[in-house]
Amino acid sequence: MKFIDPHIHCVSRTTDDYLFMARAGVVAVSEPAFWAGYDRSSAASFGDYFRHLLDIEPKRAAKYGIDHYSWLCINAKEAENVALSREVIKLIPPLLDHPRVLGVGEIGLNKNTRNEITVFEEQVEIAAKYNQLILIHTPHLEDKHKGTAIITSILKNDQRIKPERVLIDHCEEHTIRMARENGFWAGLTIYPVTKVTPTRGCDILEQFGTQMICVNSASDWGESSPSMLIDTALEYRRRGHSEAEVEEVFYSNPCRFFGQSGKWKLKPGKTS
Amino acid sequence: MPDARNVLDHQYLEMRWRALSLAADLDRIQRAEGGDTVLQDDQRMVKLRRVFELLISTDSHDRAEQVQHILSDQTPWPE
Repeated sequence: MKFIDPHIHCVSRTTDDYLFMARAGVVAVSEPAFWAGYDRSSAASFGDYFRHLLDIEPKRAAKYGIDHYSWLCINAKEAENVALSREVIKLIPPLLDHPRVLGVGEIGLNKNTRNEITVFEEQVEIAAKYNQLILIHTPHLEDKHKGTAIITSILKNDQRIKPERVLIDHCEEHTIRMARENGFWAGLTIYPVTKVTPTRGCDILEQFGTQMICVNSASDWGESSPSMLIDTALEYRRRGHSEAEVEEVFYSNPCRFFGQSGKWKLKPGKTS
Repeated sequence: MPDARNVLDHQYLEMRWRALSLAADLDRIQRAEGGDTVLQDDQRMVKLRRVFELLISTDSHDRAEQVQHILSDQTPWPE
């Protein structure tokens, strides 16, 4: 069985994690631009980070037979500084034609502030202007429901945005309907603690169906692991779902969403 | 559709340790200085008490979603 991790922050992971993923059957990943473990002090830091995403991580991943793609943006966690955010946003358009860039992301909200909303809207503008796929970060914990409602409201009110070209990530039991009922893709991010676990992830797949849903591990700077993707697939199979159904969720669905970029090489279908 | 008793068989030990873990968490808070006040008045505990009441109800089918709503920020959107 081959897997795709559609949302993983490889810059925060060790080489051992790449080795684990390769052994487990992960053949491709997509890495949204996000926080670097600390707040950056200048746009130049983001310029270096983008170079890391586009040049360094694909080479690290390729050593383990993993195809690595990225998304570019200034993340919501650092978007409170609007002036800095605007300097960073200027760096993005010249990089959008890079063969490893799938779109604009992960943009969204963190604490649902006015400044975060301003920076989010300005990045939606970039995505619309350059016809890019969008990957959305929704807030965690108590901020998630309100933040997801604000984000989906902004996107729905922009006639240029096609919902099927947007993935609303980090959906949970109380937000997934907002994504699905408005025609967006939904992402489930599986963590060992604090957020959606492999068993709850499988509950959501069974309750809401597997169409237009991608499952990922995030594997960020917090307690997280690339094994969460595999553990969720194993739990899904343990519940009696066939290899073909597992493949549909954990391989073909990411291929369908990312395939809209014109740059993603893998196709949905039989992997083994 | 899986048999409910089989699902319980599979989950029971994990549910049991989670219940014990929560009980021990509450005991630890209570033993600490000011424990009684925090357990009674802290808004997080107030929300968790609502969650516990929901968990033991027998007529709900979407407990996880309802718990999420209880624990969500309900303040208005920014202007």
